[in-house]
Amino acid sequence: MNKTLPDVAMMHSDVLIVRAREGDKHAQGKLVEVWYKRIYNFSYKFFYDHDLAMEVSQRTFISMHRNIPYLQDAGRFRSWLYTIAVNCCREELRKKKSSRSVSLHDLAPGEHEDSYHWETSGNRRENPERVLHQSELSDLLQGCLMQLSDEQREVVIMKEYEGLKFREIAETLNISENTAKSRMYYGLEALKKILELRKITKETIGYEL
Amino acid sequence: MNYKPDEATMMSYLYGELEPAEQKKVEEYLQQNPDEKKRIEEWSFTRSVFAGLEDKEVIAPPIITTDNTRPFWKENYFRMPLGIAASLMLFLVVAKLIGLSLTYSPGEFKVAFGEKVEKVESVQIPTLTEQQVGEMIRTSLAMNNETIKESWAADRKDFQKAIQGNLNKNSNKIDKLMQTASAANQEQVKQFVAQIQNDNLKLMKDYMQLSATGQKEYIESLLVDFSKYLNEQRKQDLQILQAKVNKVEQNTDIFKQETEQILTSLISTSKTNTLRRN
Repeated sequence: MNKTLPDVAMMHSDVLIVRAREGDKHAQGKLVEVWYKRIYNFSYKFFYDHDLAMEVSQRTFISMHRNIPYLQDAGRFRSWLYTIAVNCCREELRKKKSSRSVSLHDLAPGEHEDSYHWETSGNRRENPERVLHQSELSDLLQGCLMQLSDEQREVVIMKEYEGLKFREIAETLNISENTAKSRMYYGLEALKKILELRKITKETIGYEL
Repeated sequence: MNYKPDEATMMSYLYGELEPAEQKKVEEYLQQNPDEKKRIEEWSFTRSVFAGLEDKEVIAPPIITTDNTRPFWKENYFRMPLGIAASLMLFLVVAKLIGLSLTYSPGEFKVAFGEKVEKVESVQIPTLTEQQVGEMIRTSLAMNNETIKESWAADRKDFQKAIQGNLNKNSNKIDKLMQTASAANQEQVKQFVAQIQNDNLKLMKDYMQLSATGQKEYIESLLVDFSKYLNEQRKQDLQILQAKVNKVEQNTDIFKQETEQILTSLISTSKTNTLRRN
């Protein structure tokens, strides 16, 4: 999570949320600006699909705009927003499972010239070799994440990448805190085994990193 | 020490979400259980590996949404009365169109459509007894019989009168015929026959005369035609003869010329021969 100081300040700014709740368009726009990257990355890591992540992000913020006047506690904004995102993800997942079409990105993401990887490539001033290694590592780790069950993947992403506390994850997913911890436990165990299977050790990862 | 942290506690410890006292207990437990400590280290390693999965850079697109404020008639406390009012209005319009009529009287509720139909009051007819009906039928039958008898009698009289009249007429005619037939005597018959014979003779004479004159005329015309034919034939024969004579004359002329030429040629040849001999 590459959060800048102003971002952190915005995220924790209850004032901004209160203003947005009162119908302040500027505050709502600011919230979208601050939280869009987080929701996009959560959805992207969940689906490993740029288009679906964009779709979920759009729908999440449209829903936020409509429903923010009904948000009771500004302090629970983060878990409330992730709840919307998770619901959108689950809906898209149902659609994806019911439709027979397969995204080209599912087959070989990042290998085509017109891939979204070109659109979302990181800092261009970085060393190209490093960027290539980073891209390969990202694909490898994302592939490992996709081997988890949907429930475990939700919790792992929220905990590892979004930095939610177990209490917030439980609140977001409407489950008990112990269930959230249990899912995290089994998720981590599964990831550990996947790494072992792929023979990713401290030595190999040292080279990669 | 029997303390063994469960999965949930281990996760909370891994992510530093334990209370300080609980965390201390777990740390002590891990020091005493190196296998568990190793598990924690493995999880930490897994976490460090997956921390390599970085965020994607993305720019938030403009999200255009419609105005969130709802008009007052869409508020919940307005929707119900408005709905009822609209339903009532619709009901009244439909009732007007289909001519609905609702009436309520004690113990009776009526729903009717269309215009009210006036009831025709039925006239109460006094009921008749069986005897009265029988009497009426009998009187009507008796009256009917009487009228039929009267009409029969009148018809019979008319028939008799008509037959009588016809008989009288026919007998008168036959009588007249018989009288005329008997009045004719034999002389009249003879005269009649003689007259017929005279007429026949006259007719025969006229016919013969007419036929004789006709035959005469026919024969005359026939003779005239024949004489004309003969004259014509003679003319043609004469013409043919004339032509032949002319032809003979021509031939003789030609023959003469030819003989003359032959003679002249013979003469000339004889002359030339004599000259040569000389």
